[in-house]
Parts: sequence; C-alpha cells; structure tokens
Amino acid sequence: MSSKKSLHICHLYYDILNLYGDNGNIRTMEKRLAWRGIDSEVSRISFGEVDKTEKYDIIFIGGGQDFEQELLVKDLFTYKADWLKDEIEKGTVILGICGGYQMLGKYYEAADGTRVDFLGGIDVYTTACDKRMIGNFVYEYTKEDGETFPIVGFENHNGQTWLGDHVKPLGKMIKGFGNNGEDGTEGARYNNVFATYSHGPLLPKNARFADELLGVAYERKYGEKLSPLEHDMEDAALNDIKKQLGC
Amino acid sequence: MSFRATAAVWAGKFTTKILKLAGSGGTSLPGKVVLKICPDILGHLAKDMKIICVTGTNGKTTTCHVIRDMIEAKGCTVFCNDAGANLLGGVVSAFVGAATFGGKVKTDYALLECDEAALKAIVKHFGDLDVTAVVTNVFRDQLDRYGEVLTTVNKIRAGLEQLPNVKLVLNADCSLTTSLNDLPHSAIYYFGVNGPLYEGTSSDISDAVYCIHCKTKYRYHYHTFGHLGGFYCEKCGYKRQEPNVSLREVLEWRDGSEVVEMEVFGKTFQAEVMLPGGYNLYNALAASVIAHLIGLPEEKMISVLGGLTTHFGRMEQVQLGDSTLNMVLVKNPAGFNEVLQFLIQQRPDGNIVFGLNDNYADGKDISWIYDVEFERLTEAAAGAKHFYFTGKRAYDMQLRLKYADFDTEKFCVEKDYKTLITRLEQSGEQTFLVLSYTCMLEFRDKLSEFIPLEKYAR
Repeated sequence: MSSKKSLHICHLYYDILNLYGDNGNIRTMEKRLAWRGIDSEVSRISFGEVDKTEKYDIIFIGGGQDFEQELLVKDLFTYKADWLKDEIEKGTVILGICGGYQMLGKYYEAADGTRVDFLGGIDVYTTACDKRMIGNFVYEYTKEDGETFPIVGFENHNGQTWLGDHVKPLGKMIKGFGNNGEDGTEGARYNNVFATYSHGPLLPKNARFADELLGVAYERKYGEKLSPLEHDMEDAALNDIKKQLGC
Repeated sequence: MSFRATAAVWAGKFTTKILKLAGSGGTSLPGKVVLKICPDILGHLAKDMKIICVTGTNGKTTTCHVIRDMIEAKGCTVFCNDAGANLLGGVVSAFVGAATFGGKVKTDYALLECDEAALKAIVKHFGDLDVTAVVTNVFRDQLDRYGEVLTTVNKIRAGLEQLPNVKLVLNADCSLTTSLNDLPHSAIYYFGVNGPLYEGTSSDISDAVYCIHCKTKYRYHYHTFGHLGGFYCEKCGYKRQEPNVSLREVLEWRDGSEVVEMEVFGKTFQAEVMLPGGYNLYNALAASVIAHLIGLPEEKMISVLGGLTTHFGRMEQVQLGDSTLNMVLVKNPAGFNEVLQFLIQQRPDGNIVFGLNDNYADGKDISWIYDVEFERLTEAAAGAKHFYFTGKRAYDMQLRLKYADFDTEKFCVEKDYKTLITRLEQSGEQTFLVLSYTCMLEFRDKLSEFIPLEKYAR
C-alpha cells in the first residue's frame, strides 16, 4: 500500500455529459494534483447502479445535448438520486457545469409550462427563455477569506436559472449573462457544490478556481492545506481573453 | 428558359465581371443578385444535367476534388462551386458562371459542395432531376452554430427529403449518416472501412454514443476514428450496412499517401491513394462510389487515386526560403484528431504552429480543443524544436498543450503573423501549420506578402 496521497474523482455520466470538452476539467484536476506529487484516480460512471460504498472526493458533472436528457433523468432517479443528495449533504466537492448544473437543481420549466423534475439537490430552478445566452463571459468569485478572483468562460444556454434562499451565487457577473441575464448572479454554491454555466473546459485557464476545488477536497480528506502551485500560463490565457472582452 | 431566368444569368455574369475588374475574390454576390431576379434559377439551369451534391461535416472539399478527377477521367465535363462557397449564393454563382448567355449549362455534370444547413435551399428546385447525394459523415462542428450534432443530421435530412428520386451515397461507418437511409430514394450505396484504421484507436471521443433510433448504447466490432466504425445496436438491430465500396486493409502508410486494398462493387484491387491521413481514405472511398456509378473502369479509378496532387486534403505545401511549410486547416475535433494522426506518422523534428481564432467562421466557442487528443502527439512530437501559437486564442491553445504534457520550454506565443513568418523563414526548418479557418485566411494573406500563393477559397 503506497502512502502517497490521492484524491478520488468521479466523472459522472462521462459518456453523455461531455459535449463541450468537459474532459479538460478532469485533465486539469489530474495534472494539478500530479504536479504537486499527489495521485488521483478517476472513476468514469455512466448509466446503471452506482457503488454507494465507494468514497469520492470530487464529483464532476458536465454538459450534454437534449437527445439523451430523457434517458438521463430516468437513470438519475432510478440509480443516482439518493446517493447524490447524500453526497451533497455530506459536503463532498461537486462541480456541476451547464446541463450538470441545471440537473442538480429542482426542475426545468419549458415555455408551455411543462416541467421536467431534476434532482432537487440544490435550491435552484430553471425556466425556458426565448433568447440564447451565448458568448465569452467573466464573473468574480469570492473565497471564504474574502479574497476575490475573476473566472472566465463561455456560456451557451437558453434556460434562465433562479436561485432560492438556500443557495448563494457562485459569483457576481462582470461581463455576460450568467444565471438569467437579469439579477447579475452567476452559478450557485451550496455546501461544497460549485455549479456554473461556464461550460466545457472551465478549469484549465481558471487555475485558481481549480485549486480552490482541489483545496477544499484535499483539506476534507487530509486535514491540511494544498500546497501552492504556479499558474502563469493559465493566467496568461485568462488575462488575454479578459482583455479582449474589455475587462 | 424564361426571360426572367435569362435576365438573371446576364445580371449574374455582369456582377461577376465587375467584381473581377475590382479585384475582389468574392464569389457569393453574383448569386445573390441572380436570386433576387429569379428565385428558382437553379431549377432552370440544372434541368438537363446530372447533379452530384456532396455534404457532411468533414471532407466535402476533398471528396469533390476526387470526384471531379473521376468525372474528367471518364471523359465527361463538369463544373463545381469554389471550395468554401458552399451556400446557396455560391452554388448559384457557379451555375451562372457555367451557363452560356442563352442560359444553358453545357457540362455533363454539376458537382456541388453543399453546406449541411444550406442543402435544403440548394436542392429546393431539384426535385425531379437526376441527383446523387453524397453524405461524407456527421461530426460535432461549431456547436454554437448548430446546437447539437442531431441538428446537423436533421438539416441534411430536410434537404434530402425534397429529393424523392435521389441516389444516396452514405458513410456506412457513421451511425448518424446511415440513419438517413429511411428517406425516400431510388438507390442507396454505402462506403466504409472494414476494420480499425490505426492500432490502438481510441473511442473516448464519440459524437454518437446512443442509438439514434432506440437510445441504447451502441456496441462496436471495431473503431476507425471518432464514432465511425462497425457499430450495431443490440436492442433494435440498427447496424452498419455492408458497404458497396470498402477499404479492406491499409497495406502501407507512406509519406502523404497510403497503399490500400479496396473492394468496389465486388471487385478487389490494390491502389495507392495520394492523400495524406486516414480520414482522407473515406473521401477516396466516397468518390470511388461515384466513379463506379458513372461507369469509370477500375484501372482508370486506380490511376485517378494515384495521381491526386498535394493541395488535396486541404494540406498545402509551400517553400519559404529554406523552410518548407505544410499548412492544414482544422475545423472540429474529428478533423483535428485526424491531422494529429498524420503528424504522429511524420514525427516532426522542426516547428509546429497551432493557430486558433474564435471568429464566427471558426466557432466562437473554443471548448472543442479539449476534445482534441493532443496527448497522443506528445511523444511523437518530442523531437520538434519549437511549438508556436498564433491567432486570437493563442494563449488558450498554448495552455491546452501544457496540459497535454508538451515541453513548455519550447513554447512561443506569436500573434503577429509577420514576426512569426520571419522566424519560420529564418529557422530553415520543416514546419507544420495547423490553423483554424479565419486564422488560415489571415496567415495566408500575410504570407502572400513574402511568397506567391495560390488563391484560397473563401
């Protein structure tokens, strides 16, 4: 048995919710751990039973297309709902992006009023909107200690997500639409659930945010802080697009 | 020919002439003028012709080039729309260019590269005509434009639905393309590859995981690349169809070509396909279906495949001082992965330039670079001297390669094309340039200030 420290990452619905380069997030977590001398194990989970005795430090849920949504929701309620809600309440680090974000919430309401029930793991719901909120966007994330940093990504959704009383926004919009294009919020934070519309490869160029997630998971497991790691090339990409957006 | 149609042709020719005099390379404006005067002009001009439409995500341009050579080898005449001018306006311009002032097109064939979304408008007035439609494949492409991959399938479907007598030529290995076989048609032909193309082909990145008919996960006898391969659905029985033209085996991978064993409507023979990379073999197969349908003898087909010139496959080689530049266009993960496969075989020891823009024509969303498996190139490119990054999203591309474990000591971001070209020229090295669409246009514009270049389709 190796004494090397290791985080266990679950890539949930890896073969369906992978529409926009979502693998880049897994890759970033693996590499940023490896560069610190920490191992990682990635379990790729699809449809069917999930082993509830397996301990995951981070669960990642990406974005997908409508084609599989019906199947996905069915599988979610049949096999995953109790387990996932339990993980949320236990404080497991969960990153939900775009479709994965909406799915963690309570429901999606279409333009004609019909509802698709989702997990109900976090207090948000989504309503259909006739405009597509699309483009590069920037928001500001605030850490527990009050330190702030910008997150840059690409959003592409026509659902407007509304936050309930039991969640906080993940960030404050600087440029773009965010949750609904109206209230200036972006994403949601509840326990250690980090949910955002910043779809696809969010983590590579937002290294500080990646380290935030990894740091929370690492501290929960080992009771110590994650060592710092440089992110110059990551910042160069982030700052370049921020500049192009005039922020 | 109605007076209106004739007037439209005259107006179109006049506009083309004016544009030529003005030195503009624009190809779609004359089409717009013509359509304004006569919206159903294509129905008039195409009336007595045989029409071949080529659509699909990747390989349209190359497939058209090969088909053109096949038709000419048969001794027939053909006109095509310019590569890239594959929307309605571009097709109309091509017809007008080929028409006489009396409004007659005298070539035997019209060979039309059709954008997937524009297909419906292009074929609208072709309902009763002799049309063969080739669908090369369907991959994820510029998702912010089409939403999802099924949207692309449905756009092609909406076009083909208007052609009840169409002869369909479909990629047997692509479950999305093959699903078009329930459309009305007078004949249907398939092309495909009968086994894995490369050793250790990964199937991690798939654009079609679940059965398009019953949503059960596909199983595969083998993969060629992306979601292409020997797919079948255990639940509903939907599966790869036996191809009429197939690649049985790649006997030898050469520098820029492959020696293959292929079967064409029951006859087996060997051929050298002068196109770089496995993805181009599909294009050669699609064109070989057409070759058979127009009655081109096998020996001539083989000689066409063996005589294709290098700017095919959208790879272009030019000499810049002592440096050889190989430029290739990338549009989406599937195409990019195939370019990587080609680079792996080359084992580059000079420079590699990656250029990425995020203009509309490139796709505003650059997330897809994380669906490109750069990790497969890391080791094969370890001998390269420099990795240059250019274009508006150069820093994102650089970061992508950092996370693929490339040697960051060799990285250099250079957004200024002139400086980049000067550095490449001074290096005297073999250089591969892998560029997104508008980045390619910008780079070539600047490069043409250094050396003469052929006109590039826009």
